[in-house]
Amino acid sequence: MRGWVRRSFRNRLFVTMLASALLPLLLCGWLLLRLQIVRSEERLARDARTQLEALDGALDGLLAAGGRAAEELADSTVVRSALRRGGGDSRTLYQVLFRSTRPLTDYVRFDVYDREGVCRYTTAETLPGGTLDPDWGVLRAAGEEAGTALRAGAEGGLTAARAVRNYAGTALGYVTATVEQSGFDRLFAGLCPAASEVLLLDGRWRPVYYSRHARMEEAAAALRERLLAGESLSGGGYRFFVRTHDASGVALVVQQPRAFTGTVLGAIYLTGGLMGTLCVALSLLAAWTLSRYLSEPVQQLDQAMGEVERGRLDVRLETDRSDELGRLAERFNRMAEEYRLNLDRSVQRERELNDARIRMMQAQLDPHFLYNTLDTVKWLGVAHHAPQVAQLATDLAVILRTSISGPEIVPLERELELVERYVDIQSIRFEDRFVCETDVPDRFMSCLAPRLCLQPLVENAIVHGAADREEGYVKIRAEEEDGDLLLYVSDNGPGMPPEVLEAIAGREGRTGRLGLFNVDSILRLHYGAGYGLSAWNLPEEGCCVRLRLPLRREEKGNAEGTDC
Amino acid sequence: MKRLTALLLSCLLLAGCGGEALPAPAEEDRLVIYTSHPQSLYAPLVREFEERTGIWVQVETGGTAALLDRLEAERDAPACDLLFGGGADSLTARKELFAPYVSPLAGEVEPGYLCPDGSWTPFSILPVVLIYNPVLVRVNPPEGWESLLDPVWRGRIAFASPTVSGASYTALASMVQALPGEDVLEAFYRNLDGRALSDITRVVEAVADAVAEGSCPVGVTAESAALAAAEAGRDVALVYPREGAGAPPDGMAVIRGCAHEDNARRFIDFALGLDAQRYARRECQRRPVRQDLLAEGEEDLILLDYDVEQAAAGREALLARWRALEEAS
Repeated sequence: MRGWVRRSFRNRLFVTMLASALLPLLLCGWLLLRLQIVRSEERLARDARTQLEALDGALDGLLAAGGRAAEELADSTVVRSALRRGGGDSRTLYQVLFRSTRPLTDYVRFDVYDREGVCRYTTAETLPGGTLDPDWGVLRAAGEEAGTALRAGAEGGLTAARAVRNYAGTALGYVTATVEQSGFDRLFAGLCPAASEVLLLDGRWRPVYYSRHARMEEAAAALRERLLAGESLSGGGYRFFVRTHDASGVALVVQQPRAFTGTVLGAIYLTGGLMGTLCVALSLLAAWTLSRYLSEPVQQLDQAMGEVERGRLDVRLETDRSDELGRLAERFNRMAEEYRLNLDRSVQRERELNDARIRMMQAQLDPHFLYNTLDTVKWLGVAHHAPQVAQLATDLAVILRTSISGPEIVPLERELELVERYVDIQSIRFEDRFVCETDVPDRFMSCLAPRLCLQPLVENAIVHGAADREEGYVKIRAEEEDGDLLLYVSDNGPGMPPEVLEAIAGREGRTGRLGLFNVDSILRLHYGAGYGLSAWNLPEEGCCVRLRLPLRREEKGNAEGTDC
Repeated sequence: MKRLTALLLSCLLLAGCGGEALPAPAEEDRLVIYTSHPQSLYAPLVREFEERTGIWVQVETGGTAALLDRLEAERDAPACDLLFGGGADSLTARKELFAPYVSPLAGEVEPGYLCPDGSWTPFSILPVVLIYNPVLVRVNPPEGWESLLDPVWRGRIAFASPTVSGASYTALASMVQALPGEDVLEAFYRNLDGRALSDITRVVEAVADAVAEGSCPVGVTAESAALAAAEAGRDVALVYPREGAGAPPDGMAVIRGCAHEDNARRFIDFALGLDAQRYARRECQRRPVRQDLLAEGEEDLILLDYDVEQAAAGREALLARWRALEEAS
């Protein structure tokens, strides 16, 4: 379960929503139910205490009246003399007996026993058979005590006994007042609602009375057992409330059925359970939908990322949402587009570099043939005493060699030497119509520059500038600025046409002067976009072309490239 | 507001289990009794004891053998304070379970019934008697143990197996003691013709029932059971054996290491008292052990000199002989 929750944030959302929807509901339901039960039990307990009070009053009244009547009889001279005389035929005694007990005979039976425990007079219709042992039970207690003794009968009921004594204090007989089950039935009638039961127990919790007569022993034994075990009396679907009658020690017990019995509680729990299930179903649905609504775009994003990782850069997310998730999708789209453009640009750059290399390789085609030819020209010049031809061929061979082989980067010194040879050639061609002056301090001589970066500039200055003048002038100078090496080539020609200047400034000059453009490209490819070539016309006449390249010096011991 | 809080609190604490909790009676006012006596005997005695002393008595019932086994099992932490009932020979055999107590009333007791070391105290004596159905047996009723060997009664004697009935065991022991010859037991077993009753649940009443219903016109049982049946108006007549009957006392004993020893002793004093002994005789047909009550109603009874120690010792041997007979048949 835990693993399932953690695996996906959708599951996590789902579980959280379910819990937050369901728990308060269930807790609330349960609390309400408990509240209901507690309240109703409290009310019933109040009722029970009221009933107990009423029962206690009734019992107290009966016992007090019965005790008074027994006392009156026991102290009566008539009873005393009848018992002393013996026999059971004293009519006066019966008169006294009925007079004293009249209001009570509905509930209480009065008997008069002689000292042997034989019943002589009774308010019942017939004399009870058998005898009571004066040395046992209630008669013995009455004989030993001065007042009235109270005992529960073996079969329930309550008997009060009082000894009838002569003036010496010896017992002549006993007056007993007995309340049978039927007497209690009448006494308690109407004091208890039908659902409750009344139980009377004596001081040792032996049964005296139970409103369900037949089960008296059983009920009393169960209660006594619980009392002795120190347990709560309630149980078996009933609650018990106890009050002790102070004068007699009799315990009055009201037995009340539980307000919420098993079936009622079962029904309540069933309803609660059904409602709970319904809520679970609803929450499930809501949580599922909501978590799906939230998690779907995230999943799509997750998948799209995977596609991009696998190289499909044209993946785009469709979304019409304007919330955070929508913005996230848009950003992803932008990011993917950006990435694709970037890749295109670098491919393009690679291609340009390759083009330049191919051009260079084409230029190297069959150089040996050219060398040999130039060598032949040189020797022909010498043999025919044409030193200029020999010189021309030698210069051309050096330039050719430098331009098609050797290291890419060379010290400025060597580049200037190459320029010098080129100028020699051009001097012959243009019959010394121009002068080329080099003003490079010695400290820059060891600076590194791409080979043949200066020669096209000089060529441009001579061919398009200085050569058109009678006294052409080309100047090469170098200076340092912010750690960069700046090389200037200026002339006193007619200046560049504006479209060429524009092409150079915009770096798009494929149509313009190819040599300049190539130099610009080489510098940028080597050193980055911050370097390259710029050109402008000078105020009086001519133009100036500037090369910017980083100021780097030749490291000592770094082997020079060898000629081929 | 306070009320509401209280209500909510009680709700949360799952209160409202209801009713009232009363303080249980104090330990010193309690007594736990194990008894093998019938309820008609122990219940009135216990109630009277409670009324007189204010002590709360709890009673557990069971057969003597089962109760003794239970006491043995609870030996380290006895739940019971007093064993009330059980034949003297059974109690003697397990006397290590009891704390000796000599009641101040022991002097009133017939010395022959007392346990010499006070491990148990006698409560009543239980003579065995012969019973017959006076409707079915009009002439020549049985007179003594010898009659039970008479072929006239062959297969017509109600007799519980001595393996389950203490009274039957006493009868056998008395018979063997009273009659001459070595094979009395075997002769009696033959005369039973395999009809020994062994319904354990109603041993005491079973014999009297069989006689009263007429399925066996003659039987052997305890005097109290016979008297109870006769008093209930059933067709049962008693005969005290001519040769004399064994009458072992049943006893009561304080459990060694019990929680309420003083109360247990008070109960023994109460049960030996004149009132209780008289009550037991009058209401439960129990023969008292007090000297001052023995004389009453003893005219019919001839007691054998029944040696408890010997009976306890010889018990197993006699029962083994009986079992051998049962298995042989």
